[in-house]
Amino acid sequence: MIQSRHDATDNAVVSKMNPTTAGDFFQLLQAYQARTGTTLPLFAPTPASTAPAHEALEVHGTTVIALKFAGGVLNVGDRRATAANMIMYDRADKIIPLDDHTLIAIAGAYGRAMEVVRYLRHAFKYYARNQLQPMSMDGKLQEVSRALSANLPNALGGIGLFIPILSAYDPNTDSGRIFFYDVSGARFETQEYGAAGSGSERIRGIFDYITRTRGPFSQRPLDEVLRDAILMLDIASDLDSATGGVDKILPTARYATREGVFTVTEETLREIVQSIRGRNL
Amino acid sequence: MLTPYDFQENLQQRAQYIRNRLQAGSPVIGISYDNGVMLVSLRRRGRKVFEIYDRLIFAGIGNQSDVETIRIAAVDFTHQEGFVRSPDDVTIQRVVGFALSPALKKAFGDPFTAPFVFRGLFAELGAAPDRDLFYTLNYDGEFLQNSAYAVLAGTALAEENALDYLSQQLSGVPSFETAIPIALTAWGIARHSATQEDEESVSESVARDALREVLGDASVEVGILERETLRENRFRLVPSEQLEPFLRRLG
Repeated sequence: MIQSRHDATDNAVVSKMNPTTAGDFFQLLQAYQARTGTTLPLFAPTPASTAPAHEALEVHGTTVIALKFAGGVLNVGDRRATAANMIMYDRADKIIPLDDHTLIAIAGAYGRAMEVVRYLRHAFKYYARNQLQPMSMDGKLQEVSRALSANLPNALGGIGLFIPILSAYDPNTDSGRIFFYDVSGARFETQEYGAAGSGSERIRGIFDYITRTRGPFSQRPLDEVLRDAILMLDIASDLDSATGGVDKILPTARYATREGVFTVTEETLREIVQSIRGRNL
Repeated sequence: MLTPYDFQENLQQRAQYIRNRLQAGSPVIGISYDNGVMLVSLRRRGRKVFEIYDRLIFAGIGNQSDVETIRIAAVDFTHQEGFVRSPDDVTIQRVVGFALSPALKKAFGDPFTAPFVFRGLFAELGAAPDRDLFYTLNYDGEFLQNSAYAVLAGTALAEENALDYLSQQLSGVPSFETAIPIALTAWGIARHSATQEDEESVSESVARDALREVLGDASVEVGILERETLRENRFRLVPSEQLEPFLRRLG
């Protein structure tokens, strides 16, 4: 009886003896694993496969686009999920808000990506709620690096490669910022735009063309930039079979500004798609 | 050696000690309105209303460090559960009933540890106003469920008086604009009854006087969880500009 009372104290979430975790969600989960003796899927690396991994590393059939606009950053993504030449799912959401100022766009292994995204969402919010101040932008970027490098064994094993683009509204500069990562977690900032996925390679030149003819994305209003993004996604889907189109199922479009993260309504997207089609017909 | 008699006396002394220290705590009024839930209070120094999880907010009275310990414990538990299982499994009754209450009870009953000087109000946002929930959690682990509205105050009488007032004023589901003045008056009632313990009921004008008096060196804090919002986070503290018109009308 007394023994069980002591156990109850040890397991109690409220324990004055436990030092608080300074808002580190990773530490919280480590403590959970140690306490319960379980291993969470996120921290269970798959054994490296014996097959050459480079083939698998190249599978990232999709197109996600991140563009700056005046006062924020826009993300657009198609909704097709593929496995080799099969279309598995046509309503995948590849643009996910991590908190009120941050968006992540996913290209690559969807399952692993979603697990990491779930982790990041909790990590950012946990820090903000625990420490009563939002995690700094650099802190968030570092957290993404950490999650990616933890996922490296899975990526090398051939089942877990994904490449995220992180878009954030930066309150210090009152503008959007875009970062992309490599598989090991190295981070790079881009000036005006970012794109990932198989379709993005095919439309690379269009970004430059638009920047040179219509001016930098970061100085143009949201509605113009949104239209450009949908048009580019449409072109990507024409050139890349792994990228879903924009007609049958509308793409996902979200943006981050000073006021928070917003989703572009289906109505607006439909109007843009119709106006693009109208001109082409 | 402790005897059963000592045990009882010890508990009574602890309870008395905690109640004395809670009495001066700034009351918290919780109201469920059409587009969300709100917790309303006045504060002199630090923050009062806190976000716990996506659909869970909290405010407490008592020793600052104890309130903080409970808050962190709730944040830890909800995020761990929300990640390991699902955000849908993070419910107010699991957080209060299973994560917090037993630990409070244990600290209160254990003569060798300092009890928590704490009383807290949790609010959970539902899909519709009739699904919103409030839980008040006591220093000894006892908790009570309310819907539509709830009060946290320094004494039992103060809570009763404010609850009476809320039940008279809130017949249906209020809007944000109608709920704020009601919450502020209810705060004044709770405040006045907690400090003047003999009065059975408090009139609105006395309540507003009590409110005005404190407003001199304190500010109103309103934390809300919004039901319908385009933002990713449902929680926000209502900015003071938005509250000013309500306070001006108090005269």
